[in-house]
Amino acid sequence: MLELRDVDAAYGDIRVLSGVTLAVGTGEIVALLGPNGSGKTTLLTSIAGLLRPRGGTIRWEGEDLATVPAHLVVERGLALVPEGRRLFGGMTVEDNLELGAFAPRARRHRAEGFARVYALFPDLRERRRQLVRSLSGGQQQMVAVGRALMTNPRLLMLDEPSLGIAPRLVVSIFAALAEINRAGVGVFLVEQNVQAALTLAHRAYLLESGRIAGQGRAADLLHDPHVRRAYLGPLAVRT
Amino acid sequence: MTAARRERAWAIGILAGLGGLAFLPLVARRDDVLNFVFLILLSITLAQSWNIVAGYAGQVNLGHAAFFGLGALLARSLWIGGTPIVLAMLAGAALATSFALVIGAPAFRLRGAYFAIGTLALGEILRTTVGNVLPEISTLPTATIAGYRLAHRYYLALALAAVSVVTVAALAGSRAGLGMQAIREDEPAAEASGVGALRLKLTALALSTGLAGLAGGLFGYYHISYYPSHAFSPTWTFDALLMTFIGGVGTLHGPVLGAILYIVLKEYLAVRWVDFHLLIFGALFIAIVLLLPGGLVQAATRGRRLFARGEV
Repeated sequence: MLELRDVDAAYGDIRVLSGVTLAVGTGEIVALLGPNGSGKTTLLTSIAGLLRPRGGTIRWEGEDLATVPAHLVVERGLALVPEGRRLFGGMTVEDNLELGAFAPRARRHRAEGFARVYALFPDLRERRRQLVRSLSGGQQQMVAVGRALMTNPRLLMLDEPSLGIAPRLVVSIFAALAEINRAGVGVFLVEQNVQAALTLAHRAYLLESGRIAGQGRAADLLHDPHVRRAYLGPLAVRT
Repeated sequence: MTAARRERAWAIGILAGLGGLAFLPLVARRDDVLNFVFLILLSITLAQSWNIVAGYAGQVNLGHAAFFGLGALLARSLWIGGTPIVLAMLAGAALATSFALVIGAPAFRLRGAYFAIGTLALGEILRTTVGNVLPEISTLPTATIAGYRLAHRYYLALALAAVSVVTVAALAGSRAGLGMQAIREDEPAAEASGVGALRLKLTALALSTGLAGLAGGLFGYYHISYYPSHAFSPTWTFDALLMTFIGGVGTLHGPVLGAILYIVLKEYLAVRWVDFHLLIFGALFIAIVLLLPGGLVQAATRGRRLFARGEV
């Protein structure tokens, strides 16, 4: 279980997160919604240990992550699919996945990891010898999710997995997330595609200007007038 | 894994070439031929050592000369004092690596250009210090000069070049090598995948400086006389950098091709244009970085692709 309490984060003098408190339970799918610049990516990079919060605590399975370096956060079962995928473009699909199984615990589950990723995304098995930069955006997103899965996570965090991807592939990536979750892996999802996110998630938080502005069951938020006006207006649905 | 197979083919080819060079002292009548090939072999080792930390792990170390110099300093003084040369060289390499590990952790807090500038400053500090403490020229004792055999230096250089090629080939095919390349491409993304960047960067630095220390020891064994601070000259860093970039940074065969081309060109240009050759290399370096960042290796790939297209 992931617990954030009063987390503050800033870049230099610019405050990005103020007193964020939230929780993601074991095996739960939780969405984090909010407009551009509201601090969603900052929140995820802070949890992943790539950015140190200014205040508050981030606990994972009861342990304070304040001093845990990013690669050991992964080792504890928290994996991040970063914004913009951040793949190793000059390497093959297989090498990118292999890098997900770099840490000792993941290495012990390496063979299962490959089997699981290729079962989920059969396209990737066929393209395993291709350079990642030669793949389409959607296929690259599958590699990014696959690389995170190779770390054998208990909680998968995703930053805008639908960004810049053909709608058909967004559907298959969300279907894959549902299937990953059925195997007991928690999912913490930052997403602009609010409709898709709320359909998949059990619960959601709304982040506005670095503060938690609301939370609730996903099904309720989908029908909440404020959410519909702010996030599902005619422009937002266009995705 | 076609890339890995091609790398392995290159490794075998290069080692076969080095094996062939083992017969050179038997047929070469003149010392200048051996001296020339010696210089190429030393350069291969030096370029390959720089390539590990800069080419594979992506950390541009501009203080590389410091480790070459430390290896030369310790190996030469131990050897003159009576230690067998191979042991003396290993001691020099151990000194270079220990120093690298001591400065590595703080230096790797610096990223990108700051790491490059930090290591450049470190190299210069060592050079100046050595120049102040040991201002006298270091010359071999008369008895040692009398027993000087060029072929010994040549074979040692040959063995060391082979060691450097085998080291890089083994690294390139290993998990650690894959992790280093991930750090080179995107360090935060590597960390987020579970790759411990600091430890791998230190591993790369340790291997790199160990080889540089061995190369320095060979330099100290080869020369009759030189100023100790000369082995710390930034020339060693920038020669390694140029050779690696000319050949192809982050590949196994790039530094080998680069070293051969660089030494051949340098000899030719130095004879024709004396000091102008530095200017020419400067221009060549800029042209490569801008037009052909993958060096000769990339040029060959492009050529093959053009050729293949022409055939269809």
